[in-house]
Amino acid sequence: MEKNNIVAPLSKSKNKRKPALWQIILIFIFLFYMLVPILSTYIFSVATRWDRTILPEGLTLNSYARAFKASYFNSSLRNSMILSLSTVFVSLCLIIPTVYWVHIRFPAAKSFLEVLMILPFGIPTVVLALALVQAYNVTPIGRTPFLLIGAVFIYSMPFMYRPVANALRAIDAHTLTEAGQSLGATTFQILMKVIIPNIFPGIISGSLLVFATVFAEFTLTKLIIGARFKTFPLLLVEYTRINGNVAAAFSVISFTIAWLVSLLILWVSRKGQGASAEALRAR
Amino acid sequence: MPIQQRGLNARNWLGFLPFLLFCLAFEFVPIIFLFRGSFLDKTTHQFTTNHFLSLAKPLFLNSFWNSIKISGLSAIIGVIVGTGIGYAIYRWPSEQFRHALIALSDVTTNFAGAPLAFAFIIILGMNGVITQFLLKYFQYKLYPKFSIYSFSGLLLAYIYFQLPLMVLIIIPAFAGIRKEWEESAKSLGANTFMFWWRIGLPILTPSLLAGLTLLFANAFGAYATAYTLVESQLSLVTLQIGYMIAGEVRHDPGIGMAMAVMSLLIMGLSIGIYQVASLRARRWLRS
Repeated sequence: MEKNNIVAPLSKSKNKRKPALWQIILIFIFLFYMLVPILSTYIFSVATRWDRTILPEGLTLNSYARAFKASYFNSSLRNSMILSLSTVFVSLCLIIPTVYWVHIRFPAAKSFLEVLMILPFGIPTVVLALALVQAYNVTPIGRTPFLLIGAVFIYSMPFMYRPVANALRAIDAHTLTEAGQSLGATTFQILMKVIIPNIFPGIISGSLLVFATVFAEFTLTKLIIGARFKTFPLLLVEYTRINGNVAAAFSVISFTIAWLVSLLILWVSRKGQGASAEALRAR
Repeated sequence: MPIQQRGLNARNWLGFLPFLLFCLAFEFVPIIFLFRGSFLDKTTHQFTTNHFLSLAKPLFLNSFWNSIKISGLSAIIGVIVGTGIGYAIYRWPSEQFRHALIALSDVTTNFAGAPLAFAFIIILGMNGVITQFLLKYFQYKLYPKFSIYSFSGLLLAYIYFQLPLMVLIIIPAFAGIRKEWEESAKSLGANTFMFWWRIGLPILTPSLLAGLTLLFANAFGAYATAYTLVESQLSLVTLQIGYMIAGEVRHDPGIGMAMAVMSLLIMGLSIGIYQVASLRARRWLRS
């Protein structure tokens, strides 16, 4: 889960060797395993028929036309957007001030905060869903989008925490805070006008990670609300049982969003660090 | 640290409070309720261990066994193959290609859930691309011996997100084994095997253990992939708990809570070991 400097030590060996045979074989297997399922989905989504022959019998964009016209297509995209953006908003409002506060005022609680951020990885999403449904069933927010936002916030908070905490560690927050205080700024002003602009790349990375994670979230949404708040992943699963080509078109859309977000994160961090070495769930 | 206001402990906690309240409301309190519910009889509201005793029924035992088997197997395969691939990437001459492979691992480890399950149906389903290919060119009938909707099919899908995760965990560990150490070992007469056995492996061990436990937890908690692929064919703990929440099967909710508590313990244990192992592994990482 820790972001490690994966790349820097590697770049040292700049001698012009050729890869060994075992390396070529292993990398080939790896690329085959990783790419074939994705490429097949892309091809399947534009194939007319692909269950009798090795290559598709013809190409068409019909499944996309049908996908865009699917009855819940617009509403599910809208619901996914609402859910992802509100979670990013809640995450920004809660995580950034907390990380800053603990860093500056309350370093004693740092390891406690770290543990809090590890915990969601130890809770299966179905268990979190069961716990929340049982606990809130009698309250007005039971089985509503509000409960769902709380749930996906818990589930996605490590993705916001890690990049923000790393960015904050990389700047001299103490000196910046003291400088701000000596000029008479309040803690809130320092956070908004000095700290946030300085850790902005970390905030963007965290927001994108949370967005992508929540956008692809299936388990909590299905089990906490279900069909009454249909999000994009729910629609996709529904179509895997109705129409394969349309389901493939939906899969392509969700793969493409994941690629785009990863590229954006790589572009923002620009350090060649993995977009989400700490990303470990969502299965 | 002059800014730190010692003695004002209450004020320190104040800034922490909103976040803590959120965690309490949506994480800790519901889970405490879950523990309580798992020990509470529904009608008499008395303490009972009956829910846990009912887990001895074949259906539930089978779910736990299947979950542990698929998580353990996919984790072991992921660790062994992932370490090999990680080393191949680490020793690859072209820096650009290395970066590309690491970025690929980064993206693919997050490709899970329904889209991944469906991709595997496309390639290995009854009329899948690879199924067709094997039949046409090798006259090999994949079905009915193999099925993507079975244990072995789900295993293939799980390994898909386990492999890149292990690659991401192990590459920094390889970077921690310094060239000078190998040179000094060789100059003292060690061969390659001895170097890896006596020096390389002990340095890698914490990372391998961290990988094993993290991959295990990763698979044990998985739901969406299994739900799409094997829904009714294979019984897993997460699927069983899911049925109970959705009300698709009528069991005493206490049994669902007991299952949830058991899986929390299993996951908690593996994440705990992971945390200790990755802290130890970090000692060797260059920063």
